[in-house]
Amino acid sequence: MNLHQCVIDVAAKDPHRLAVADPTGALTYGVLDERANALARHLRELGVGKGDRVVIWADKSPDVVMAMQAVLRLGAAYVPTDGASPAPRVADVVGDCGARALLSTPGLLPRISGRLPADVPALDLAEDLGTASAPINESADPDDLAYILYTSGSTGTPKGVSISHRNAWAFVDWVVTELAPTPSDRFANHAPLTFDLSVLDLYAAFAAGASVHLIPSELAYAPTQLVDFVHESQISIWYSVPSALSLMMRDGGLLERTPPHGLRAVLFAGEPFAIERVRQLAGWTSARLLNLYGPTETNVCTFHEVVPADLDRDRPLPIGGAVSGDQVWAQRPDGTAAGPGEEGELLVDGPTVMLGYWGQPPHHGPYATGDIVQVLPEGGFEYVDRRDHMVKVRGHRVELGEVEAVLAAHPDVAEAVVVVVGSGMDARLAAFVLPGKGRKPGVLALRRHTAERLPRYMLIEDLHFVADLPRTQNGKTDRAALAAAARHPDTADLL
Amino acid sequence: MSDDEISERISGYIRERFLSGDQQQELEETTPLLEWGVLNSMNTALLLMFIRDELNVAVPPMKINAGNFQDVKSITALVNELARQQQAATPAGTESA
Repeated sequence: MNLHQCVIDVAAKDPHRLAVADPTGALTYGVLDERANALARHLRELGVGKGDRVVIWADKSPDVVMAMQAVLRLGAAYVPTDGASPAPRVADVVGDCGARALLSTPGLLPRISGRLPADVPALDLAEDLGTASAPINESADPDDLAYILYTSGSTGTPKGVSISHRNAWAFVDWVVTELAPTPSDRFANHAPLTFDLSVLDLYAAFAAGASVHLIPSELAYAPTQLVDFVHESQISIWYSVPSALSLMMRDGGLLERTPPHGLRAVLFAGEPFAIERVRQLAGWTSARLLNLYGPTETNVCTFHEVVPADLDRDRPLPIGGAVSGDQVWAQRPDGTAAGPGEEGELLVDGPTVMLGYWGQPPHHGPYATGDIVQVLPEGGFEYVDRRDHMVKVRGHRVELGEVEAVLAAHPDVAEAVVVVVGSGMDARLAAFVLPGKGRKPGVLALRRHTAERLPRYMLIEDLHFVADLPRTQNGKTDRAALAAAARHPDTADLL
Repeated sequence: MSDDEISERISGYIRERFLSGDQQQELEETTPLLEWGVLNSMNTALLLMFIRDELNVAVPPMKINAGNFQDVKSITALVNELARQQQAATPAGTESA
């Protein structure tokens, strides 16, 4: 099934039903359908067709969701980039994926003019194109590209995870079976549209003819406002990183109010959820609590539903067993499958495994996640650790090497080391910068330098200038010592 | 509070909390805070708390958008506008706690 078919089907049957809303506006299925057709036609006139890529650069909004639908209707693939992403990085993405067009907003378009190839038109995605337009619905093959999500790459350049209609649909299909959403459901969309969590919010809602309620990024970690949003939008299905839930509980007074009447499922993924918080959540709502797991390359490949016995645990929740038609297993270093009680790297094979990274040879066979898990005696898995330097900040993957490479490229910087401080909602990136000889880099100058090259979630929060970097006995940078220093900001500047 | 005072309080808070003191005095009224990642989704919440607790102005969700938080200048304008509205809404002779 094509990912864009859902909206077309609901619009034909029930055009007045609410499809997507945010604090500034809303689109019914009928209007979403008409406008997607009009934009698709416009894009087609500019030469966009089957198999092409279109980059979307904008803050989240109902219009952006409409633009994604428009691109899919041409049999083309969309490539979302955050409105807060710097123009040079967006231009790099346009170049990397060989985009045929860029869709953006009037506030952003002037910033990228002159940075795009001459044959790549840049358009206002919300431009009024009228509504009188014949339907456009190019059929895509299951293995055709539907979208590309760019994630942090260890070598200093981002990687484009290429997802097909089959990949996306295998996951959405599982969600629809598991949650049985109905037209009266109201999904929250907390994650940015560049993050694969949003695939559930949008497409499970559309598959059921339900509505999805977008949370603008500025609101995403404002605790009291977020709690107000949950109530005002009468959310019935919530999905986010655990950090957002923790924040609402700790600083937003979530638990002090009765849950919204219709709340029936709370899903979380992207990082471990402190068991104490899960306990509090379970004490507050009778909604189902589901822990989902999967890297962008496979979307959700395992899940675990919280049961009463979990609440007595002192370890994090299990990540559970395979879903979305996938097979998962833990592989020991010698290549054999790990048995109960043993640890190994989690491998995933099946319909959700990506086509590959854009510009690299297609991916075949099982995907090795880089996550070390333990096989539980009762079946399923528990997350243990990472194999490499990839870290998570509120669910977002960050390769520390990519951030360090950008900092070190500044002319005033001799060397830079980036570490993660804290965990869960308090996790943040801290940088230790060794200035070049005789140089005095400014805090804002360095922030500007990184912001012009990295997406928002990869930006450092704490910046420390040091006269020397601590070394281990074998001469490597002592990351553990830096991480310890970063936890005590008052002393970090004295290193 | 005058515009200048509000602007100074907000700049001071941002320097202290998010710019390690801003030793080289780089922060200006028009420094693009969101674009350069000085403000992000996490610490915007801290700034909102500062505005609520120290400047006695509540910022409604509708007003929390990129346009209103892009720089010290626009935050100052927002706080000023909300302060006027919230003062007008308070009956004469009462004081908000």
